[in-house]
Amino acid sequence: MITNDTRKILHVDLDAFYAQIEMRDNPKLRHKVLIIARDPEETGGRGVVATANYAARKLGVHSAMSASEAKNLAPDAVFLSPNFTKYRAVSDQIHNIFDAFTKKVEPVALDEAYLDVSDLNLSGSMLAARIRHEILRVTGLTSSIGISHNKLLAKLGSEYNKPNGVTVITTQNMLTFLDELTIGDFRGVGKKTHEKFKRLQIENGSDLRKMSYDELRSQFGKVGEHLYYQARGVHFGEVQWQRQRQSIAKEETYDHFLHSERDIQYEFKKLAAAMIEALKKHHRVGRTLNIKVRDDNFNTMTRAITRELPWPLSEELLTENAQNIFEDLMAPPFSVRLLGMSMSNLQSNSFEEMTLF
Amino acid sequence: MQFSINRQAFIKALNDVSRAISSRTTIPILTNIKIVLTQEELILTGSNSDISIETRIEQSDTGAQLIIKQPGGITLLATFFSNIVKNLPADDMTLSVDGVRASITSGASDFTINGQDVHNYPQLPEMDDVQSLSVSAAQLVDIISQTKISASTQESRPILTGIHLALNGNDVKAVTTDSHRLSQRIVTLTGTDAHVKADVIMPAKSFNELQSLLEGQDRVEIKLAANQAVFDLGNTTFYSRLLEGNYPETDRLIPTESTTQLTIEASALLGAINRASLLSHESRNNVVQLTLENGVVTLIGTSQEVGRVQEELVTKSVEGENLEISFNPDYVRDALRVFNGKAVDIKFTSNLRPFTLTPAGETDDKQLQLITPVRTF
Repeated sequence: MITNDTRKILHVDLDAFYAQIEMRDNPKLRHKVLIIARDPEETGGRGVVATANYAARKLGVHSAMSASEAKNLAPDAVFLSPNFTKYRAVSDQIHNIFDAFTKKVEPVALDEAYLDVSDLNLSGSMLAARIRHEILRVTGLTSSIGISHNKLLAKLGSEYNKPNGVTVITTQNMLTFLDELTIGDFRGVGKKTHEKFKRLQIENGSDLRKMSYDELRSQFGKVGEHLYYQARGVHFGEVQWQRQRQSIAKEETYDHFLHSERDIQYEFKKLAAAMIEALKKHHRVGRTLNIKVRDDNFNTMTRAITRELPWPLSEELLTENAQNIFEDLMAPPFSVRLLGMSMSNLQSNSFEEMTLF
Repeated sequence: MQFSINRQAFIKALNDVSRAISSRTTIPILTNIKIVLTQEELILTGSNSDISIETRIEQSDTGAQLIIKQPGGITLLATFFSNIVKNLPADDMTLSVDGVRASITSGASDFTINGQDVHNYPQLPEMDDVQSLSVSAAQLVDIISQTKISASTQESRPILTGIHLALNGNDVKAVTTDSHRLSQRIVTLTGTDAHVKADVIMPAKSFNELQSLLEGQDRVEIKLAANQAVFDLGNTTFYSRLLEGNYPETDRLIPTESTTQLTIEASALLGAINRASLLSHESRNNVVQLTLENGVVTLIGTSQEVGRVQEELVTKSVEGENLEISFNPDYVRDALRVFNGKAVDIKFTSNLRPFTLTPAGETDDKQLQLITPVRTF
């Protein structure tokens, strides 16, 4: 089976993300066995490992393991409760870096994303070097990147040379690479499937590729089909970059049409307050304010103002600008059935004003 | 209705009542000014339904040169009418009304404009269960100017757009907060023997308008009812709606101890804040950073987009633990202005806890500005 997939996909994965952040922020932890989970002694044994540093992983600790199990494996480990607010903020910094390279980013988790860089002129390994360097410069954290022509191989690549490594998988070295993978490394192979493969004496990629499409399909159904293609390094899944939120919008339809400027102002203020709340919740700010007006004849008008810097999250300011746009669009007497306000050209916000209550 | 009057005296009264008049209102007639003439006086009224201002010019007021020919009343579009009066040619003017048509003459100029029937104008609210007290205008201005900065301007929590006034005998505690900062002013009223016990929330916007009317006043009589406050300023009466609801409990928000304390001239810090804001205002964050390290206090403003400013501050004293804290410079600037350049104590507990500004050496929280920091990532 030959494919001429000419895409250029990166899979970027931060190394033991939460643990690395905590070690960055507290040098005393750097040479310790660190497990990000609430200390089982405080929780009475409940709780799950969010992540662990490489010293802990050497002792067999891995994420999603119960914290008390981890404590048995690493009795001297430092347990630290996760601080997701902090991790999210660092994640925003990292995603901002991705955004600077391409808009085709599919975030998978706080510390992991696929980038489709097919449109860029630089080579995959040059881009990987720059991205890793930029992440290290801005956040002080190391990452691993896999480069290939599809998501599957890119992901396998980033796992292969972890931590702090880059792996390029080309059509030339692809099969050698896949042959060496153990069966458990393939996607969709869980505990049950794994055991079944063992019984069939299928242990690695090479064995897997010897199975026919029909064999795999009859034994494993849908998963089998996927594995047939995986063993050949074929995967057509697109980088789902549009899944990322492009704008935050609020709109309202009025049963009683609006006729006075005072009502319009009041409603814009409510929309602005709701939009600001949503932006704050997602730690976002935006450069483009969009206003939508629909009149009683279903004529819909939209206008936008784009600033060089993001709009401050000020209800007053947004309302005032919305009102100005409205006055440009509509002259009295008017009859308005819908108003909408949205923010686009979003970027992440790196600060939070604290509140008293 | 017909009267003639000194134009400057009339303009002054028009300006006073116009403070209450808004061009944006749900009740169209409130864009008008109400003019009523009795046998003894001329009464002008403006209102935006939140506040109403009524001012009286008496025939006995010699400066106004009011000559009453025939009592009556009318309402006229406020901005339009004011502009006419301000542009009239002579020192005096005559207004005569026939039905809803008003004629304004001054020198050789003669305007005729249409108004609306005075009976269509809403009545000022009646008040029940009134408590009254007398306050010196200077103390009232003090209370307003010390607290108005922290009142919220956002209608999402209407109660926070007010000034919370707790009156108990001669003691008044005024508090405002927009949930990011808080102002508190406690005063003991002078020259009065009030027996008032009341807890009211007055819109801060009203208080702003009131402040401009207090100039030149000596004492103010205040009447408080459940949903209305009335301020009697001699010939002018100021009505304000009161906000309904419970004001948040704020005493517990004020820290009782500190780990780092800084004493500095308000004017010195204000200058540095203004300089740092030049950069922070160009950034989307509007945050500056203050570091206190072994007695050295540094203010830093950074904008990723524009650049950076750093300034070592001249302080009177620095005590306690080292600290690095970020905050919105606008809040600190507003707070410092209240202290009129005098020395202030700034007390911190941690970089994620609110800090306070009080007059240097005072520990009774009678004049206090509290500000929450900004958490940066």
